[in-house]
Amino acid sequence: MSTVNVVNAPSWRRRALRIAAALAVAALAAILRLRAVALLPIDYDEDDYLRGGLEYAAAIQRGDWAALTQLNYRPEHPALHKLAYGLALAPFPPATVPDRPTTAAPAPSLPQPHLYVARLVSAFFGTLQVLVLALISPVAGLFLAISTWAIKYTSQAMLEGIPSFTSLLVVACYARGRIRGWRWLALSGAALGLTAASKYLYCVAGAAVAVHWLASTAPRRGARSKVALWRWLRPVLLWAVLAVAVFAAADPYLWPDPVGRLRDSVFFHPYYTQSQAVQSLNMPFWQTLALLFSSVPWHRSVFLVALDPLVTLLAAIGLFGRKEPRLWVTWLVVAAAFLLVWPTKWPQYLLCLLAPVCYLGAAALARWVAMLERAWAARGDWHWRPAWPSSASWIGLRRALPWLIPGLAAAGLLLIYPMIYQFAISLTDLQATSIRDGVTGGVWREVWLGLTGQVSPVTPSALGHGPATRVHYAGPGLLAQVLLSIDEVLAFEIVWTVLAVGTQAALGLGVALLLNRRGVRFTGWWRTLYILPWAVPEFVAALSWSHILEPRFGWLRLATAPWAQQAPALARASAGWMARTDQALLLLLMAALWYGFPFMCLAASAGLRMIPHELHEAAWMDGAGAWTRFRYVTWPLLAPLLVPALLIRAIGAFNQFYLFVVLRPPHPLATLATISYTQFASNRQYAVSAAINTVTVAILLGLVLWFEHKSRASEGLTYA
Amino acid sequence: MHRLSASRQALCQAALLLVGIFVLLPLWSLSRLALDGAIKSVPTAFMLWPQQPTLGVFGQVWQRASQSLSFLGLLANSLWVSCLAAGLSVVMGASTAYAFARLRFAGRRVGLLSLLVGAFLPPVALMTPLYLILESLHLRDSTFGLVLVYAAFSLPFCIWNMRAAFQAAPRELEEAAALDGATPLGCFLRVALPLALPAIGTAALVAFLGAYSEFAVGWLFVENGRDVTLAMAIWGMRTMGGVPWSQIAAMAILMTLPVTAVFLVLRKALFDRMAFGSPE
Repeated sequence: MSTVNVVNAPSWRRRALRIAAALAVAALAAILRLRAVALLPIDYDEDDYLRGGLEYAAAIQRGDWAALTQLNYRPEHPALHKLAYGLALAPFPPATVPDRPTTAAPAPSLPQPHLYVARLVSAFFGTLQVLVLALISPVAGLFLAISTWAIKYTSQAMLEGIPSFTSLLVVACYARGRIRGWRWLALSGAALGLTAASKYLYCVAGAAVAVHWLASTAPRRGARSKVALWRWLRPVLLWAVLAVAVFAAADPYLWPDPVGRLRDSVFFHPYYTQSQAVQSLNMPFWQTLALLFSSVPWHRSVFLVALDPLVTLLAAIGLFGRKEPRLWVTWLVVAAAFLLVWPTKWPQYLLCLLAPVCYLGAAALARWVAMLERAWAARGDWHWRPAWPSSASWIGLRRALPWLIPGLAAAGLLLIYPMIYQFAISLTDLQATSIRDGVTGGVWREVWLGLTGQVSPVTPSALGHGPATRVHYAGPGLLAQVLLSIDEVLAFEIVWTVLAVGTQAALGLGVALLLNRRGVRFTGWWRTLYILPWAVPEFVAALSWSHILEPRFGWLRLATAPWAQQAPALARASAGWMARTDQALLLLLMAALWYGFPFMCLAASAGLRMIPHELHEAAWMDGAGAWTRFRYVTWPLLAPLLVPALLIRAIGAFNQFYLFVVLRPPHPLATLATISYTQFASNRQYAVSAAINTVTVAILLGLVLWFEHKSRASEGLTYA
Repeated sequence: MHRLSASRQALCQAALLLVGIFVLLPLWSLSRLALDGAIKSVPTAFMLWPQQPTLGVFGQVWQRASQSLSFLGLLANSLWVSCLAAGLSVVMGASTAYAFARLRFAGRRVGLLSLLVGAFLPPVALMTPLYLILESLHLRDSTFGLVLVYAAFSLPFCIWNMRAAFQAAPRELEEAAALDGATPLGCFLRVALPLALPAIGTAALVAFLGAYSEFAVGWLFVENGRDVTLAMAIWGMRTMGGVPWSQIAAMAILMTLPVTAVFLVLRKALFDRMAFGSPE
């Protein structure tokens, strides 16, 4: 081990290289942010925070330092960031910004150079954040430097610059302090105080640190004495106390009346989430995370590159890495969980988890690069040689061919040729009006002409404009357009697949455990009953659920109608479930649960029967309770058996179609299959439908390859 | 281990009952509609039981199911399309599945992976190219066109499942038959096929069910009223509007009953052979 450490120890040269890389990344970040500072139009709320800064600046110019404890325009947000604006604006001639309601549209104009100066302050801290992250991991820093969300919201006079920076310090100093000692830990606590004094939301980083700290130092089960508990909690408490002290010191507005002003400031937010302005937006609960999978959709020309979806995708992969530092995963998970639960969904909230996203994305990339390096180093090794068929198997193919011919012929006509044809269609603009031309070979003509360069592609935006009676070559632009426009559906697909499989597995497993308990009676009857949903065609199941959930005459609506007076919320919910995405999702999940849990129950029952009963007896004799027996005996043995069933249900949920067609939930509750069907059946945009299906096939192919890779890696399974 | 105490037994039964009610809820909602003679168009009040219990609704839909076909006509279309699609998948796929199970050849792994991808495709995955192909063959607006479309959905799954069955059968029997002078075809037809028959039946049943309950893609392809299947007819009643809910429910129940009956009878055989498709 020691040699490894010596080799990996950063020599001065490595360190210099690393610092140079970080500085280069920070320089890039600075350039991109300066550009945004100059080019971005005035956004919502910038007038508010600029006014806050100008009030402070005026007080400083007057020399009226006591006023700093009395001023805080928009007191729902703590003072520090606005104070920073004030300090920076103090040397400039005074200016005023009118007092307007929070919900007002962006101000038409704001005083210059004050807006410019305030934006520069914000961008300065945004760049510092990139610098710190780049010192930890240059690639992560690069990802953050080019993140359009980070650029936009740290280059406007918002409250994101300082807390983005300090919340990264909270985590980075903590990580270093766990190795280097209390000074860094104290820095982390102080940074948390500054974060809280800038914007409360960013304290999720502090919460993540606390979770990680407590989890990684928890005393073992046997050694839970009072002393041990105190020793466990003390450093975390000290850290938190320091954070509170720094927070109080850094927010002068609190000094005259700490409790009352803090209460008003913090409790403003939960009330605001219930306000009409937020409620009427009706954003689905995963909205912020969906934004993570797209770039800033407005003022595109400001940002030179827009790779945010790619970074998020990398991070999503990095999340599953076994070796990733738990701390960053914890940060991402805590922040994401908070954003999922919190009802207000402003896009700038993304910034509180961009740092871990960029870090995990960089980690995933590094892992792939390392894998490629290994593959290259081992290229002489048989293991990495591509699976060339040996000569024997070519002979084998000749022998197998007579057997394969019927299946190959059928699959070739019904699957393989259509698949290729589908890809070709997705390269054209085929639609209802040009169907005659398409049927008589127009698709192949255009694709041939296009690929040989004899015609130039029509722009995909011309699709749907004007009914063309001829097919045209559109190139890969249509596929790209589809890929860019399905981010909302993809985000829903992820949420949907996870929730649907999770609920089905939970209920299926629970029922299987009950049925497999010794001594439970009538299990045969129950089993037969629970199989019923599986014996009913999916179409009929969806139809009966639609009879229950129909918003006007459905069973649920009629059942709640008599209580319309006493419980209007209930009646409203059952009548208007179509309109609210969250409710619609819940009811869809219920219908999917009904249809899907018997399969999981069967799979779990089959697995449970393979676990020898003696193991339970032994654990029971050793005094293990029911939960311990499940956790340490049943679950480890059962989980691997459930993986194929889980995967099948997951793909089933990802492809869920009939449920959505029959129940017609509101946008964006749709699967790829559903939107493809709508494009075909309602809009008659055949090429768009083909492009969506091409994407589906690509995703499924990726899933199958990944599954095959995993199952081979974990169990050594091959196609024997 | 100890026996369950009475209170725990009751608790378990109560939990199971709760799940049972959840399972029965939509089925009962459907049956209640179908058994109620009082519903003229849509239900207007919450009823746990039918207001006028009657089997008359079933009689109505039996006599006049859709504009151009009787119920039996629709059922005949459904059975024709589903049986032919399932039969096509199984017959065309059997020997291929056998080759994948028993022989080693170039491209086998790629073939298996493609089969798996094919088995996971959603039903709408190939509708666009199939529409164009069948249209150019003048087969689109016909029951035979539907057969081809549904066979395309079920073929990969059937091959995959039958392969697992052939693999599970003991190889020694075929080797013994070969020693006794049986040709490879003889081994396949006389030894391997009979052994795998239950699993092949399962694959066929799944393919049949897929085609039997499909309606969305069917309506994209078929436009004339005579080539409509039962599931399509029910969906047609639903989207057309004006058809009483009780009639739709009655049709759905008539459509479901035979399948459910077969399913429950074959339950044991089906679940013992249930293959989760793990690639081993």
